[in-house]
Amino acid sequence: MKLQKRRSDKFACWAFLTPTLIFLGITALFPLLYSFYLSFFRLKLNLPNQAPTFVGLENYLKMFTDSMLHVSTWNTIVFACISVALEVVLGLMVAMVICSDSMWSRVATSIFMIPMIMAPVAIGTMWRMMLDASTGVINYFLSFFGVDPVQWLADPTMAKISVLLVNVWQLTPWVTVICAAGLKALPQDCIQAALVDGATPRQIFWKIVLPLIKPVLVIVVMMRFTDAFKVFDTIYVMTNGGPGTATEMLPNFIYKQGLKYYDAGYAAALAIVFVLVMALITLFFLNLRKKEEDNVW
Amino acid sequence: MVKRRKKDLASTDYVISNFAGPYVKWILVVFSLVSVIFPLYWLTISAFKLEQDYRAYPPVFFPSQLTLDSFIEVFTKNQLMNNLINSATISVVTTVITLLIGSMAAYAVQRGPLGKKAKNFFGLWFMVQKMYPAIATAIPVYLVMRSLKLIDTLLAMIIMNTSFNLPLVIWLMMGFFEQVPYELEESAMLDGSGFTHRFFNIILPITKPGLVASAILTFTATWNEFLFAVILSINKSKTLPVVIAGFITDRGLAWGPMAASALVTLVPVVILTLLVQKDFVKGMAMGAVKG
Repeated sequence: MKLQKRRSDKFACWAFLTPTLIFLGITALFPLLYSFYLSFFRLKLNLPNQAPTFVGLENYLKMFTDSMLHVSTWNTIVFACISVALEVVLGLMVAMVICSDSMWSRVATSIFMIPMIMAPVAIGTMWRMMLDASTGVINYFLSFFGVDPVQWLADPTMAKISVLLVNVWQLTPWVTVICAAGLKALPQDCIQAALVDGATPRQIFWKIVLPLIKPVLVIVVMMRFTDAFKVFDTIYVMTNGGPGTATEMLPNFIYKQGLKYYDAGYAAALAIVFVLVMALITLFFLNLRKKEEDNVW
Repeated sequence: MVKRRKKDLASTDYVISNFAGPYVKWILVVFSLVSVIFPLYWLTISAFKLEQDYRAYPPVFFPSQLTLDSFIEVFTKNQLMNNLINSATISVVTTVITLLIGSMAAYAVQRGPLGKKAKNFFGLWFMVQKMYPAIATAIPVYLVMRSLKLIDTLLAMIIMNTSFNLPLVIWLMMGFFEQVPYELEESAMLDGSGFTHRFFNIILPITKPGLVASAILTFTATWNEFLFAVILSINKSKTLPVVIAGFITDRGLAWGPMAASALVTLVPVVILTLLVQKDFVKGMAMGAVKG
């Protein structure tokens, strides 16, 4: 009787898993394998009737000489590092100052939720409107301080700064909300004990709060860092990689290779390398995190 | 003396929020709130401005006259209603499918009679899957959808969005199932309730907050999804984000209609999120910690 039960449980368990396995197999694993296969071929998407020709490692070798790829890789790395650093520092600071049970802090949290649930495309277009060089409201504000109209999206350096700041606007609230949840769960007695001993708020921050919140910060940095490599929507609507290659990032670059220049083979090879690199970064972070995991909340 | 006593009894929140003194605190609060609110105010007001006002320089901060012209234009000329219905259909269907098969898979992995190895394998797979960049599958998915004649259909969008959101939902739900006490299931098992019955009648009802959090995250992600929406749609299956992006590339300065469609996109998710803010935050925090 018991054995019978066990067997039917086992059957039900696999039946529960099957839809997901089939779904992910078809929509995630198969495309990846197909990408791998395509990466050895030359295939033009705009010529559907042309048979793909086998070119061996040509698509992979092309990566070493493609200077556009090198530029966009460098752009992505710089973008990821600076944006994550700014977002984490700013996000934690804001999370700390709104740490309170009062009404205004709850309202503030609700307001901070909006940028992170807003469609990134809408964020990009909204900022494009505000950063417009001739009619934009940001340049209008700057004119009070005697600043000449800034070519936010047309000048290569300013365009880099613009996409970075928009990313900070979009994702600092995410860091804030996660950190605020972490702060709420801090053990109260440590801080109370330090207060009794006469510690200043500054000492409490550096000696108690920061070490206690560190596991949460490690996780936030990991998630933001891997996500920053996938930035696409805001870049696509704000600059589309321009001017020139100033804000070209890897996802946008791969997208263009495949769906603008129709070079499916090369795009597939790029995608494979991109996935491998992301997997390595993820595994590195997962290892780092294992050490912190037990300390979380 | 009184002052001293007050300091001793200061709450933890108070100490944390004054980590750099009250001036820094209030400057930061005001600065961060203004920098979040002003762009949103600007977007909203631009959607309701007359055409001469949204093109004006110096910019008009408090328009003397508000109008629905931009909304009328996008709903008549651009047929935004079709896109709104597309977005709603795709998001709702995706959310339902993802929640159903995702929570079933999560329960099977978390509580099913699988070996430890299988459990770890699935856990790692779903975690890696969550990190994987969507662009990596764009080309092959486009080719497959093209040969299946699924380009420009809602079905293609639903399939891809379900695929993106499944790993996250599985991870979230695994976390929620983990918190369900074993005794509850054991007693149900003694009463002769099988795996399927336990899941639907005992476990799911008590993990409702988890389902709400997963639903809202999936809905929002699908509603806002852009990369595959732009690749897989031509005209019939366009979603709201594709329309918004279209304003930029097609017509340079149509800020009013563009702001109006952005607002139409933003308002439903804001309402939904505020309704279930607590669960949303909890889900997001858990999603972050869990993977």
